[in-house]
Amino acid sequence: MSRLRRMYRNETSVPFSKIWTKVLLVSTVLIVVSAIGLFGRNLNLGLEFEGGGAWEVPVSNDLQADEVRDALRPLGLADARIQTGGGVLRVRTELTKAVQNQIDDAQEVDTVESITLVLAELANPDNPDPNSVSVSTAGPSWGDEITDKAVTALIVFFIIIALYITVRLRWEMAVGALIAVAHDIVITVGIYALFQLEVTPATVIAFLTIMGYSLYDTLVVFDKVRDNEHRLVNAKLDYREVVDQALNQVLMRSVNTSITSVLPVISVLVIGSGVMGAVTLREFALALLIGLLIGTFSSLFVAAPIATWLRERFGNEGADKGRSYRLSEAVKKRTSGSSISSPQPSNPSIPPRPRKNKRR
Amino acid sequence: MKQRFLTPLLTIVLVVAGLLVWSLVEGNSVLLGLDLKGGAEVVLEPSEDTELEGEELRDALDQSVEIIRNRVDGLGVAEPDITRQSNRIVVQLAGVEDQDRALDVVGQTAELRFRPVCGRIPAEQVDLSGENSATDSDNDGPVGIQPSDRDEASSEETSSMDGVETKEISAESTPEGVGCEDLGFTFTEALSMPTTLPEDDDAELPVILLGDSEVCVGQGECRLVLGRTMLTGAALETADSTFRPPEWYVLPIFRSGEDGIDLFNIAANQCFNQTAVCPTSQLAIVLDGVTESTPNVQTPYFERDQITISGDFDQERAEETALVLRYGSLPLEFETPSSRIVSATLGKDSFDAGVVAGIVGLAFVALFMFAYYRLLGVAAILSLALSGTMLWVILAWLSTSRSLALTLAGVVGLIVSIGTSLDSNVVYFEHLKEDIGNGRTLRSAVDRSFPIAFKTIFYANLASLIGAGILYFLTVGSVRGFALMLGLASILDLIATYFFLRPFVKWISLSDTLSSKPWLYGLPTQEVETP
Repeated sequence: MSRLRRMYRNETSVPFSKIWTKVLLVSTVLIVVSAIGLFGRNLNLGLEFEGGGAWEVPVSNDLQADEVRDALRPLGLADARIQTGGGVLRVRTELTKAVQNQIDDAQEVDTVESITLVLAELANPDNPDPNSVSVSTAGPSWGDEITDKAVTALIVFFIIIALYITVRLRWEMAVGALIAVAHDIVITVGIYALFQLEVTPATVIAFLTIMGYSLYDTLVVFDKVRDNEHRLVNAKLDYREVVDQALNQVLMRSVNTSITSVLPVISVLVIGSGVMGAVTLREFALALLIGLLIGTFSSLFVAAPIATWLRERFGNEGADKGRSYRLSEAVKKRTSGSSISSPQPSNPSIPPRPRKNKRR
Repeated sequence: MKQRFLTPLLTIVLVVAGLLVWSLVEGNSVLLGLDLKGGAEVVLEPSEDTELEGEELRDALDQSVEIIRNRVDGLGVAEPDITRQSNRIVVQLAGVEDQDRALDVVGQTAELRFRPVCGRIPAEQVDLSGENSATDSDNDGPVGIQPSDRDEASSEETSSMDGVETKEISAESTPEGVGCEDLGFTFTEALSMPTTLPEDDDAELPVILLGDSEVCVGQGECRLVLGRTMLTGAALETADSTFRPPEWYVLPIFRSGEDGIDLFNIAANQCFNQTAVCPTSQLAIVLDGVTESTPNVQTPYFERDQITISGDFDQERAEETALVLRYGSLPLEFETPSSRIVSATLGKDSFDAGVVAGIVGLAFVALFMFAYYRLLGVAAILSLALSGTMLWVILAWLSTSRSLALTLAGVVGLIVSIGTSLDSNVVYFEHLKEDIGNGRTLRSAVDRSFPIAFKTIFYANLASLIGAGILYFLTVGSVRGFALMLGLASILDLIATYFFLRPFVKWISLSDTLSSKPWLYGLPTQEVETP
């Protein structure tokens, strides 16, 4: 049977647990590179976070924003915020801290000067007057308060979600899920730092979207694992095999969901920003694309192995069948020859798990 | 039998159609954000006599930016652009096409003032000739008109305001002009004076304003003669509302020190002792020419965080008053703001690109779902259309009532959320396939799979909802808007899955002609079942 057909019929048998170590190595490298990017190059924060310079000049009403953008392009300022209206042209753009201080101290700086001249010329082509242009610094529209509150909220969010997963599923899964979410965010943000893509409020929203998506995806995977745990006894599998089986069962769901989420983003990337030239869409869509793919990947290859390893190491519930099974296996090896046929664990010090807990 | 799933199916379709019709009839439509459609801009400059300079002024401006943001964007979805530019604040509001409205919205950020209530007069402005007719009804309420004894300085309202009357309270922190002393007019004259317009509302002059219902007991409407401002909202740190059965209370917390609680205590002391400064013991809270509340002062001295305002508040009034106290106070006074219409920062081409890309993307998604799941894919697409319609109705309603604005990022975010919301369909369908692969018939698989798949969908969405709730209540600005959208998407996903997808799949699974052809469902067929 062809591989595709098997996938279609959910009959894949990818040995996930065998490739976890290799894949995690890749993840680790990605994270290290991202961390280097983050700490080495810092994020390229946009005008909304850092503020910038603001220019204002009275113009005739028929001046279009596009003309201004074209005029500013040679200065490398095609992404400036340009607004016209009420007979006034306003341009806002990023500037380095040093340049901002110079504006405040009324010193003249080359960039500032040249922008001023360009605008003066636009306002009055025949008789440009730099003095008609007012230059000032613009504060951030995304203030520190928004950032501070968002960070606090994220911390609370992580704690409560950890509690939620612990109650609903297992604490090992809570740890796995949160590490996976952190993994996705670090890598996406790291890519932004490495390539010095501009971080705008839209990017931050994209990061949050990725976080929500990654968490949701991981929970669906873990729910399947939890549903399959009864096979620890019934099918005499150890925990790793149960997880493997569950991951195979949700594989197509993960692939399909990624496809339905990623298709529109690719469309935005290719058609929106490629064909139709909406530059502002490009980086936003890129962030989402990377994040969505990593989010799916991390559910299967980060969250699952971490939860499995934690469970194998600390799965210390007395009635933990996976562990008791492995114990009995160990017993089997030691006393080679004597067969263990009972589905119940043979180790008397570990009582069987109460039945009612099985399908929680 | 058919009733059991046809009824909910018809119900949800009718309900959504009804909502759509309602939305169209109401004329609700989604507002486009500043980047896509432009809007109006209001420029606020600090009044010239502000004493703050340099870094201090900048801090005060930054603080004002946060307060203005909270006032104009309580829900976090309006996405205003509020920046400090050197020494002024520029507020840009999306989708506001008339400048006056922009001024109105930002104008609500005027200074919050505490003024003593000097007396009540009838709501109607009376001609002086009929002065006796309106003064009779003042015995039934807790407050009566108490004509000032010292009305010798009577002239016009805007007369001599030289602040020489500060002899009774010598503390330097006393606001200029003292409460109700020497109003500059008599109550009899007040009867014929017009209600003070918001733009004439000067902190250092007495004003005549409409009273709120709680102070005009038994009179329907009345006007209040309010003394000079004793303290402003700048003295407040924050405020909250609380329910202590049987009543709602407002709990203001003042800043410590002489610019905070000390100012309040000076006023409270005067009011409690009913001195000439505050003869009625009532202290009015006034915002932008509107009397928000007129509490009675019942002790002469307060701790800064032990103050409760009572006054027959219901929950709404208490929360509203707390909101006014919390955000109505800017640390600076501003000149009368100016406004103008501004163009979009990105322009229509970006918006078109986003929309076209979105439509193409969705078409691909629909194609994929159909190719992979066939008839079930059709169910998914219909379910998506349904939740999409609900989302549009809600967005349009929020646009109209809470000035929600859809930015380019918002458009893309919506497109993504649509792709993601198909996940619940996929989870269900994959479970169906698994069950059928295990040898079940389509009908029994449909019955068995839904509860199991829905459990997964429900708990995963619940996690998203918890996240959205936390983010919503703890953040401001566009993060808050994101949380609202995330929460909405999760709830709509659950609704569409439970009320539409479940009965719909059940319905198509019952049709004999259809269910005999499993390939129509993108399900494993019998002949390839045996390897």
